[in-house]
Parts: sequence; structure tokens; C-alpha cells
Amino acid sequence: MSGASAAAAMPVIDFKAKADELLPDGASYDSCLACGLCSSGCPASGLEGMDPRRFIRMAVLGLNEELSNTPWIWTCTQCKRCAHVCPMNIDVSVLVGLARGLWPQEKKPSGIVRSCEAQMRSDSTSAMGVMPEDFVEIVEETLEEIRASDPRFADLQAPVDKEGAHFFINQNSREPAVEPEEMGPLWKVLDYVGADWTYSSSGWAAENFCMFTGDDNAWRAMVEKRVDAINRLGCKVWINTECGHSFYTLWKGVERFGLTANFEPASLVTYYAKWIREGKLPVNSDWNTRGLKFTLQDPCQLIRKSIGDPAADDLRFVVRTLVGEDNFIDMQPNRNANYCCGGGGGFLQAGMNEQRRAYGKRKYDQIIATDASYVMTPCHNCHSQMEDLGHHYGGSYHVVHFWTLICLSLGLLADTERKYLGPELQDI
Amino acid sequence: MEFSQNRSYSTRLAVIGSGLAGFSASIFALDRGIIPYQIGNTGPLAYTTGYFDLLGYLDGAALADPWAGIARLRAEAPEHPLARIADTAIRAAFSRFCGAVTEMGLSYTVSGGKNLNALLPAGLSKPTLSVPATMISGVEALAAREPALIVDFLGLPGFSAREFAANFKAMWPTLKFARLGFPEMETGAEVYPEVMARALEVPAHREALAERIRGAVREAGEVAFVGLPAILGVHAPDRVHKDMERLVSLPIFEIPTMPPAVPGLRLRELFEQALPERGLVLAPHRKVERLELRGDSAILHFTDNFGEVTVKAEAVILATGRFLSGGLAAERDGIRETLLDLPVEQPETRADWYREDYFDPRGHAINRAGLLVDDAFRVLGRDGRPVSPRLFAAGAVLARQDWVRQRCGAGIALATAFRAVEEAAALLQERVG
Repeated sequence: MSGASAAAAMPVIDFKAKADELLPDGASYDSCLACGLCSSGCPASGLEGMDPRRFIRMAVLGLNEELSNTPWIWTCTQCKRCAHVCPMNIDVSVLVGLARGLWPQEKKPSGIVRSCEAQMRSDSTSAMGVMPEDFVEIVEETLEEIRASDPRFADLQAPVDKEGAHFFINQNSREPAVEPEEMGPLWKVLDYVGADWTYSSSGWAAENFCMFTGDDNAWRAMVEKRVDAINRLGCKVWINTECGHSFYTLWKGVERFGLTANFEPASLVTYYAKWIREGKLPVNSDWNTRGLKFTLQDPCQLIRKSIGDPAADDLRFVVRTLVGEDNFIDMQPNRNANYCCGGGGGFLQAGMNEQRRAYGKRKYDQIIATDASYVMTPCHNCHSQMEDLGHHYGGSYHVVHFWTLICLSLGLLADTERKYLGPELQDI
Repeated sequence: MEFSQNRSYSTRLAVIGSGLAGFSASIFALDRGIIPYQIGNTGPLAYTTGYFDLLGYLDGAALADPWAGIARLRAEAPEHPLARIADTAIRAAFSRFCGAVTEMGLSYTVSGGKNLNALLPAGLSKPTLSVPATMISGVEALAAREPALIVDFLGLPGFSAREFAANFKAMWPTLKFARLGFPEMETGAEVYPEVMARALEVPAHREALAERIRGAVREAGEVAFVGLPAILGVHAPDRVHKDMERLVSLPIFEIPTMPPAVPGLRLRELFEQALPERGLVLAPHRKVERLELRGDSAILHFTDNFGEVTVKAEAVILATGRFLSGGLAAERDGIRETLLDLPVEQPETRADWYREDYFDPRGHAINRAGLLVDDAFRVLGRDGRPVSPRLFAAGAVLARQDWVRQRCGAGIALATAFRAVEEAAALLQERVG
């Protein structure tokens, strides 16, 4: 890993005392039975010689120096599965967040730090350093290309800074920075349902690596900038696009930092489901004549850590409608009990590839056990991690965004928007 | 959706608790066409062996016939929860519960007239009424003293095939043992049954493990069965079990392991997935913080990620468990029921909680503490009358039983939940009328 080696000069904190301050009512670290359900259910167990049970036992025993130095905190994705399975509701992720924040900046994994620094650099809040004027230009150019390529989209819109629009839509930086053609399917969906929406030139980015550095001030700064942008445009609903942690970071950040948000938070998944139920998105599985099998990755940040069952239900409703009831195979375990894929918490950016892939082996096995050809997920980190796991371990599955299949089903998907589809879906 | 949102719901029947009593109460209610709202913390369901005991021991002696044991309880301890329930109701509870679990995809043996002598991890056995299909061959192998190869794994704590064989040596001398590396988990680091079980959901891992087991069987000589720690899948153990038997060409049985163990995870994940599909409204991993009893209803309060939730219920079943689950709290001045401060029958002083010897076969008074109920399983108040016509209790929170020593935890959970639901349904029926 880069820059996360143990060092003698690391500040040491009293984990047990801090833990007691951070615990929810009724939970107690003293009540840990050491049963090991947390470690048994944690894909980071064993990495860097640590696991959640050991972490808690060491905190109770006062081994603060060891805990202040362990690089394991960068392999824990803070997915909260440990708390989910613990009969005593002990949440190791809050201690991990605390420990991350205390590492000197120069010792933290440089990939996460650089991503946060890039976010701080401009009003975009983009971890990939896309400046506001560049974002606007990329959106305009991409829109022009789509309009020119297909007369059906000659009037397609992608508004920026449109005051009073109903929906404020954010966008993961990966699209404008690396694959702008992937924004097309989203715009087509929004156009199809007649949504009144806008991007913003400020605070448009849908990622927050500052949260993963453990630096609360930086997390707050990012959320404040985005909340200000949404408030300023007077949008009623903030729709977080297909990304897990960017929903959590703003939704949780508003409460954590006591910010004033004059809008409703929503996941795009909720709206996909709503628009399908209302008949505005008349998708179906007629295209899936080969009976291709699909499975689904529940992003921890969206399901277990925030919206929970309503979003998990919506995800399944959308997938089943899109691919056919018989062609959907749930991963086991799933929903709130799902395993993190290992792409979260900044792990993908931390430069710890060996550990990240070892962590992800459990996810890989989950996918292989379904025998599905495709994995759908509304999260960019999950998407990248599962693709990488497939390449690394030799899986032949594809990972797709929801917007791709929605446009495929509606006959709106251009050839250039099929990068994540397999050869059997290139001509449909 | 808002950033935080307080929500209110109403239900006919609320079930508080997510152990065997809580989940079985929901199953029995759904059978009666009542859609319950069940709220429960994570709880210790994951700690179970997977065996469903009815009544295994009385006065320290193992029971071959649990029904004869219950008849004895009726004569000698008529206030024991099992003694207050007719055999027909207990049979119906077991049969319906094991049937429902099997229908949902986790096969269990049909509960019968006699106890089965089932295997435990340290090379012991215990009487129980129903076992998972993946474990029944172990009961048969033990009964017939069949030559069996017990396998354990490098890095797996809490289960030793050698210890298992050594402790059984006198009664089951044909046992052999072997230690294998689990494919791809052989670094010497700790391995968990859950992780091995999930891995075995993948066919390629089954083939790799089966090849190693076949090698161990060849080395062991004459072997009629293979015994493994309980690792044969979490979601689809029946399928994994059958496939492994096919690949190894021998009958295979699972042996429960120490927590964190797989049999309990199977049950929890099954209930959390399958019961909502059958209509249950489930708020899993949530703890009811407050319960108010009103004239015509009960109000439950809990918190989720979005804020406070209140549920108004016409009837409530408390299946909150004992100290570990949080239904009872042991405090310096006595034992307290945590939601309503209901009266808890308990020893007079703290000094009377335990006997001198932890293993005293007479047991400890604290284990018999709990809530008192009438014959309709309504919780009794200090005046000996029901606290409310709509408040029922089921499971380990009840007094006058010692489920640990008597091995009757599942029996009490299922039978009392069955009766509580029966009575709650009658109350709800009256209200409709």
C-alpha cells in the first residue's frame, strides 16, 4: 500500500473511551461476548492480521498504540455489516472512522487523500479534478454528439444551472472525466419520463472521498457546497444518480453537521421504480429472448447504511421488470445482510490491490454461485470493483448500470453506449 | 422521502423479538391469516446448534421420550410452561414450524414420538426432537456405531475431529479422524464456518473439497459415513449436502460447531428473506425502545435510519428473550423486565441467584426467573391478574423453566408462541365480531 505503513509517530488515542462516547443508546463495548459473528461476517477479517472482534477486544484491553497504527482501518470499508450481525449492536466502523481521521495526512493512503484534495480544489467537488467549466463543456459536447447521431434525440436536453427545476441531478465524475457517452442513457431516461431536471456547475459531483479520509471537516465542506448548490437552484428533489456512497455522504452529512437542506433526498433507483409503476417508463424483458441471467449487488451505502428495505425492494422490482422474473437470481446473502464488494470506503483508491482483491473474493464467490451472466448495481465503486474481481479471478460475467438496460429495453441505446454489455447484447 | 421522517403504522398483531419464539409466532399468525408486524434486534438466534429440542433432560437424566417427560412435568412441576400446554398443541406447534422451515427451503426431520440422539461438537450427544436434514445421518451413524471419518480443517477453531473421536471412543470406537486444508483457505489464518459454507455454494469449491475428502477416506480405510463441521452452505444446504454426498460417494452428516456457527445463520437469513415474501412486515435488527399499553391498543416505539417509528397494535406478543437478548436485565437490586417493568418472578435476593457449584444438577434459581402468565399466556401483573387483555408472552422470557439444563428452549419457544398466537387470534376475532 502507498503511504499507510505503521509509524512510531502516530497519535495514540484511547479507543475505549472514544468508543463509549460514540455508541448509540443501549449498546456497550463491555457487553461484547467475543462470539465472533462480526469477524465471521466481515470480508476484511484476516487482512493485516486484524479482524473486527480482535479490534474490539484490543480496544477493551487498552491496546491503543497498536490500534492507532494498524493499516487494517484502510481495508475496512466501513460497511457496517459487523454492527448488523452483532447481538449487542457494536459498530466497529465508527472506531475505524475515528482512527482514519487521526492518521497524519502524509501517512494515509495517498489515493484517497489525493481524491479528497481534488474535490477541495474547485466548486465541482469532483474527485477526478473536473473543473466546473470543463463539466459544462463536456455535457454540451456530449449532448451535441447524441443529437447529431440520432434524429430521435435532436431535442434532447441536459440543462445546467436551471433555476427552479424540480430535480437536481448529480453525476459521478467518472462519466464526464472518462466515459462521457455513459451520461447519454441517463439523459434519455430523464427525457423519456418528461422530468424537469438540471445539473449544476457547482457541487455536481457524486463522490466524496473526503468522508473516507476520516476528516469530518472535509466531509462537511463537500456536503455544504453541494447542499448550497441545490438550495440556490431551488430544486425540490435531489436525485442521487447511480452511486452508493454519494447518497450516504449527503443524506448523513446533513444530519451530522446540522445543515439546512430545502429539498428532499432521493435515490435514482426509487424514481426508476416509481416511473415504471406509473407507466412513464414502459420497460419490459421482451429483449431478453435468450433468457440471460442477472443478479444484483445491493450497495452497502444505499441499503444497509441508509434507505434500507424500501430501496432494496425497488431495486428488485426494477431488475425483475427489466430482465424477467425467471431471469433474476438474488445473491446470497442479500439486501441488508449483503457483503460489501470491497470497492467502498476508498479501498479502490487506496492502492492496496492485493488486500482489496482478497476482500472481494467473497463477493466474487457470491456472484459465481448465482451463475448469472450479468451483475446489475447502482453504484460506481461496486461496479469497478466487481469488474476488477471478474478480470482477476477469471469470471466471465459483465457488470452493468441500470440506465443501460432501461434504454436497451426501450430501444433507445446507441451502439456507443454498450461498452458494458456482452457481445450477445450488442445488436439488440 | 425526507432526511428524517417519523412514521406511524398500525397492525393487528405486533411480535417483539426475533428469536425462535418471535419468528415462530409470526409463522403461526400467518397460518391464521393474520399479518403480524415483527420487530426484533439481531439476537442470539445465530448461536443455535440448529437442533429443535422439545425436552431433553429432567433432573439431570436424558429423556428418550419427551412426551413422557412432559407428563412428569405436569405431575411434578405443573407451572412449567410446557406442562400447561396440551400435547396436541405442542405437536401441532412442532409439526407446523418444522414443516414451514422445510417449505421455505431448509429441510428438517419430522418431529416424532421419541427424541433423537444428536451429535455435539466436542464428541458428545444430546436428546432433541428435530434436526436439519444435513445432520440426520449423524444420528443414524451414532445409533448404529457405523465406521465414520470425522474431518476438521486447518485454521478452524472450536472443532477438533480428534477430540470428537476421543470423547466418543468408548461408545463409538469405529470413529476415525482427519484434518484437511479447506481449498483456498490454507494460510494458517483463522477460518470461519460461515466463510467455508458460503464458498461451498460454488460448485467448483465443492469439487475441490470433495477430492480432498475422497483422499482422506482412502487413507482411513473402511468408512461408511463422513462427518463434517456444519459448513455445507448457508442458503442452499440441502443442495450442497446432496452434491457433496454425490461427489464423495458416501453419506455425509454435519456436526454443529461453536458460535459463530452456520445452522443459526441459515435460520436467520431464511426467516428474514422468506417470511416477508409470505406477507410478514419485518423490521429486523431494530430494538423496540418503548411499549405503551392503552385501553384499546398498544403502541410500540423504535428507531430506524430515518427516525422514529410507532406501531399501533391490537395485540402484542412479547418474545423478547432473557438477558442476552435484552428481555430481562440483571441489575444490582434485582431482575427487571426491560420494556414495561413487568413483575418478574425471581429469587428474593441477589445472593440466591446462583448455587455454589455452577454445575449443580439442580440448576440455579436465576434461570427460573421470568414473567408469569395465565393459561392464555397473558402476562400477569403484581395483582396476579393479566396486565392487559392484549399483552401475551412467549419463549425464554417466561418463568418456571430451565431451558439450558432441561434442553427445552425450542420446545418452550414454539409451544408457547403457538398458544399465545392462538389466544391473540381469539382476541382479534372477538374484536372483529
